[in-house]
Amino acid sequence: MIEVSDIVKSYGVGGNQNQVLKGISLQIADRDFTVILGASGAGKSTLLNVISGLERPDSGSVVYGTSDITKLSDGELTQFRKDNIGFIFQQYYLLPNMTVEKNVRMGADLAGNREYREIITAVGLEDKSKKYPSELSGGEQQRVSVARALAKKPKVLFLDEPTGALDEQTGRQVLDYICKLHKEYGFTIVMVTHNQNIAEMANTVVKMNSGKISEVSTNEKQKTAYEIGW
Amino acid sequence: MVVGLKDTLKLIGISIIAFCAVFVCTLFLSYNIDIAALKGEITTEVGMVMYQAQVSTGKVVAAVSGGCLAVTSIIMLLFYVKNYIDTHGKELGILKALGYSNFKIAKHFWVFGLSVFVGCALGYALAFLYLPTFYELQNAEHLFPEIKVQFHPFLAFLLVGVPAMSFAALAVIYACFRLKHPVLDLLKEKHEYKAKGNEKETKDMPFLTELTRSTVRGRKSLVFFIAFSAFCFSAMVQMSMSMKDLSSETMAIMVLTIGLILAFVTLFLSLSSVVKGNTKTIAMMRVFGYQHRDCSKAVLGGYRPFSYIGFVIGTIYQYALLKIMVTIVFADVGNVPEYNFDFTACAITFGLFILTYEVAMYGYSQRIKKLPIKSVMLE
Repeated sequence: MIEVSDIVKSYGVGGNQNQVLKGISLQIADRDFTVILGASGAGKSTLLNVISGLERPDSGSVVYGTSDITKLSDGELTQFRKDNIGFIFQQYYLLPNMTVEKNVRMGADLAGNREYREIITAVGLEDKSKKYPSELSGGEQQRVSVARALAKKPKVLFLDEPTGALDEQTGRQVLDYICKLHKEYGFTIVMVTHNQNIAEMANTVVKMNSGKISEVSTNEKQKTAYEIGW
Repeated sequence: MVVGLKDTLKLIGISIIAFCAVFVCTLFLSYNIDIAALKGEITTEVGMVMYQAQVSTGKVVAAVSGGCLAVTSIIMLLFYVKNYIDTHGKELGILKALGYSNFKIAKHFWVFGLSVFVGCALGYALAFLYLPTFYELQNAEHLFPEIKVQFHPFLAFLLVGVPAMSFAALAVIYACFRLKHPVLDLLKEKHEYKAKGNEKETKDMPFLTELTRSTVRGRKSLVFFIAFSAFCFSAMVQMSMSMKDLSSETMAIMVLTIGLILAFVTLFLSLSSVVKGNTKTIAMMRVFGYQHRDCSKAVLGGYRPFSYIGFVIGTIYQYALLKIMVTIVFADVGNVPEYNFDFTACAITFGLFILTYEVAMYGYSQRIKKLPIKSVMLE
């Protein structure tokens, strides 16, 4: 269980200060698929960064089980991310000078995962494992990013607009891979998106507006990546 | 303007190397020219032998130091031009897409020659001011008539004008060559990583080991600079310690100063480039949970063996140079002490080298620690 309590986060100083998160509180259950939905500038990416330990809030707490990660030192926070967290970003952020296999191994080595090639196969890239990112399409690069995140066997997977740079067909394909792997490995998913249709794939939908949660809802029946609109 | 004057400020390393090269060359070549004018007035046999030895020394020092530093400056210039094009691919790509020819864009790179001009001009000016003292040192035993400092316009042109123009031309030609990439590759700032057939050997290599290897392989010019930095440190420090019996203290201090300046400037510029070029990788590693010491070791550690190789080459170089000077150039000069390899100087220099190198590495490791992990996501 992730328990987020009264998170406040501002950027800038003095008169230019902009409060991006205005007292956010929410709970995310283990193995849940939560989507944080909102328009551009709503504060959803900042919230994701705070929950995942990439950024520190000005105030409030983020508790994983019994551990409040806002109280951890930088070294402890890095160790926490190593042990618990996986990331998938809109822009992939693959290492350009590393092959697919080595990019995936970046995550796998952290968890001592020697079966990382199975994940490369699971995302359908076994025949491209020796290719460099620049030799892959956008969808393939994002699948490498998925494999890299999952190879470290995360307990929680954070996704920031994972289909934002992809076309519809490729986007659906990537989401389908993520959902299949979610069912297989049983990790918690927290995904940020502005696409309302993608939210239909989640158990829990957290709607954000101007730094606040405007609505939290649950989907009784989750749709697959090929059932949602785009 | 594609390349601004402020861009040339980043080439301070080239300016410093050019400064050192021209400073040394001006001293010895001016001396050679001025003493040659007095050759007919040297009446003693000892004076003639010393004259021949000093002229030969001047030629060797100017050729070896000047040549070595010129090659380093050329490599550094090419590195900067390539780096500039790699990091400004979008802007340059847009210009090409609009119809600007490669040459029309590349011709602006002439300003890189200004950094060489500044270094050479300062080197020449300071050397010229130092010439009276240098002449006194060279003629400390008064074997020659009084040597007057003369201004030689041709030498000034050769040591300031020619390098500046040559480097400006080289920057334009090389930029023209690098701009031959397709427009889309420049716009996407696409790097030329392509799958090769020899991946089998690295198949089971851990990620951090592979990262170390690819970091080094991806920036071979930096390998040269880091080895060169160790070379300068090793050669110049040992030489200044070993030559105390062979030359004046002032000469030893000059050699030491030039060596340390070159070593530190090259090392810091190289390490800064390594860290800057790997910012995204480091940030991503930190996001995934790699501790900063792993990042530092992977990114910086690969260069350590090359710095030790540079140290060894520097040791051999300084020994060979001094041995040649003593046994060949000064063979006929009396009272020249026998020169043997100075193990004490080597041991002290090696100790200082390890200390300096590791302190620099620690400093850059702290810099890596302070890199904000969000930096990668702000682009």
